[in-house]
Amino acid sequence: MQITDPVITSGWGNNFHSLSSKASASTVAEAQEIVAKASTARGLLATGLHRSYGDSALNSGGTLLDLAAMNYIRIDRASRIAVAGAGATIAELERAALAQSLFPPIVPGTGYVTMGGAVAADIHGKSHHRTGSFSKAVRRMTLLLSTGEVVDYTPKDVEFWATVGGLGLTGTILEVELELREVTSNSVFVLEKRVKNLEEMITTLAESDSDFEHTVAWIDLSGDYRGRGVVSLGNYCAKQVKSKEATSKGPTLPSIVGKNFITPLSVRAFNEIWYRKPLKNGESALTRYMHPLDGINRWNNIYGSAGFLQYQFVIDIGKEQIFERLFAGLRALKAASFLGVLKKFGEQSAAPLSFPRPGWTLTLDYSTSVPGLEKFLQEFDEVLVAAGGRTYLIKDSRVDPALIPAMYPRLGEWRKVRESMDPKGLWQSDQARRLHLC
Amino acid sequence: MLNGFKSPGRIALIGGESEIGLAIVSHLPEDKSREVILVSRSGEYAMDITVKADRERTVHNLFAKGDVDLAIVAVGLLGNDPDKSSADNLLAAMDVNYLSTVHFVELLVERMKEQAHGTILLISSFAQVRPRDDNFGYGSTKAGLDFYARGLASKLKGTGVTVKILRPGFVQSKMTRGMALPPFAITSEECGRYGAQALRSKKLITWAPSILKYVAVVFKALPAFIFTRISHR
Repeated sequence: MQITDPVITSGWGNNFHSLSSKASASTVAEAQEIVAKASTARGLLATGLHRSYGDSALNSGGTLLDLAAMNYIRIDRASRIAVAGAGATIAELERAALAQSLFPPIVPGTGYVTMGGAVAADIHGKSHHRTGSFSKAVRRMTLLLSTGEVVDYTPKDVEFWATVGGLGLTGTILEVELELREVTSNSVFVLEKRVKNLEEMITTLAESDSDFEHTVAWIDLSGDYRGRGVVSLGNYCAKQVKSKEATSKGPTLPSIVGKNFITPLSVRAFNEIWYRKPLKNGESALTRYMHPLDGINRWNNIYGSAGFLQYQFVIDIGKEQIFERLFAGLRALKAASFLGVLKKFGEQSAAPLSFPRPGWTLTLDYSTSVPGLEKFLQEFDEVLVAAGGRTYLIKDSRVDPALIPAMYPRLGEWRKVRESMDPKGLWQSDQARRLHLC
Repeated sequence: MLNGFKSPGRIALIGGESEIGLAIVSHLPEDKSREVILVSRSGEYAMDITVKADRERTVHNLFAKGDVDLAIVAVGLLGNDPDKSSADNLLAAMDVNYLSTVHFVELLVERMKEQAHGTILLISSFAQVRPRDDNFGYGSTKAGLDFYARGLASKLKGTGVTVKILRPGFVQSKMTRGMALPPFAITSEECGRYGAQALRSKKLITWAPSILKYVAVVFKALPAFIFTRISHR
């Protein structure tokens, strides 16, 4: 067990700089000792790889609990059940599973997410329309409560669902047991289709959902903002491919004197090239397909020292007209996004704070230095909420707290369970303070 | 908490009726979710800054409901009440501008250090640059505050808490009503713009207007006989 002096920590968006102590534990007993010593004044928060974009994994004035050393993975081939420590990453789980012709059924766009983080954000991936979000594969979790007790929860327990998507505010996840799926190779058959505008994109995605387990579209939101892009469809396939590990071995993007390289012009140039790139129609390595950006380490440095934010929301099928309003506003601001992603979600999980639910989800990245963006997003959030939509908390860094109860109508129910699990309020985060979650 | 645009979610304006203070708040980037707490002589956060118990209670109450991301300390007294003697006027100005303000800021800092973030904006004055016959008493109170603020800013490095100093020249406000306008006079509205700029700036000190930075250099360099003539005009 080790507790450091306060150090500055940022989320993936580099738009928060928070000062907190770090405690690391490699055993349950060490984690319990940290909990016993922690002060409730500014509290404790278990954190992983800090891939959440905003302040979900920050705790100014308090302590961050790092369980990276608890990264064991045990797989029972016969039952396809994996038991993983909270610090094990998706990438590590994928490697261990693939060695036994298995794969996690739900993986996010990056392999750099810990088991604890995957549960706490109830992450989703390209397969959501088929497989749902991460919690759907979880059979059991072990939680360290603020009393120091270690408790197992299963999907029958309300505590389980309060922890899923619960942003680490119910307790520290120590271990996750989840069901893997069979795969016959390490590859995915990928089919890419170029689409001219948003309408075509929506039609293509909707039509492909029944034939493909993985569906997602890259959307170009620059230039004329008509939403042209490339739809990417994938299915697990039987052909083994040579695969370079998509993780940790690629180049690292340096932070070049904190400069932001994402300008309307550079985005437009990049998007033009990306739109016209040769389309794939064949096998691709699973890990590379699932985590395209993991090939470049610290890609977030491209936005410079001002940092950036990711804006992700979901809106019901049939409410697509909201996109026009968004695109017009972004166009007026000359806000260009180089990582726009559109995806159709499937079923909602039983967790009160889980983000995905049936509808369209759009994800956009913006430098925080775009003039007028803050005001515009606040205005758009109101339109979004009026249309029944909501934003994703693990990516949030700016939503109006007054809108949260409308976005997450079961917030009150979650608060009650959270309160019963942590009556002394040990688990705290900057995001929880900013959005008055607890 | 600050949001991802570094916009403060909860602001305490000490001197809730201060025209400069309110103008600074109005010049911050618009944020609908922001809470601005006005600390003045009346209302929910009523405080007489010269009363120690009031200061302690106010700081306690401010932090009881959440983090304070930004505190704008905009209390000040020129010390020119015609009903008071010169000595009493100076005593009152010393109390408000230096003694009570510094104690209040110390209490704020204690709490902000616990939350490991927060900004305190203090309003100094051009009057602290060099003593002039007509306002050196007031100037000395601001000189004390300014001196303290610079020391505090340095001491707080690495704690997450930052201090910013705004040094306005002559500002047309309630406090200066009826006085003749000297060169470089600005309105409280303009001063608010400089205050908001001070909060965005990486620098410790912001002058309002900016040119005063150079005027101050000249003021300090002038030989006494010339300076006295100018300041008597």
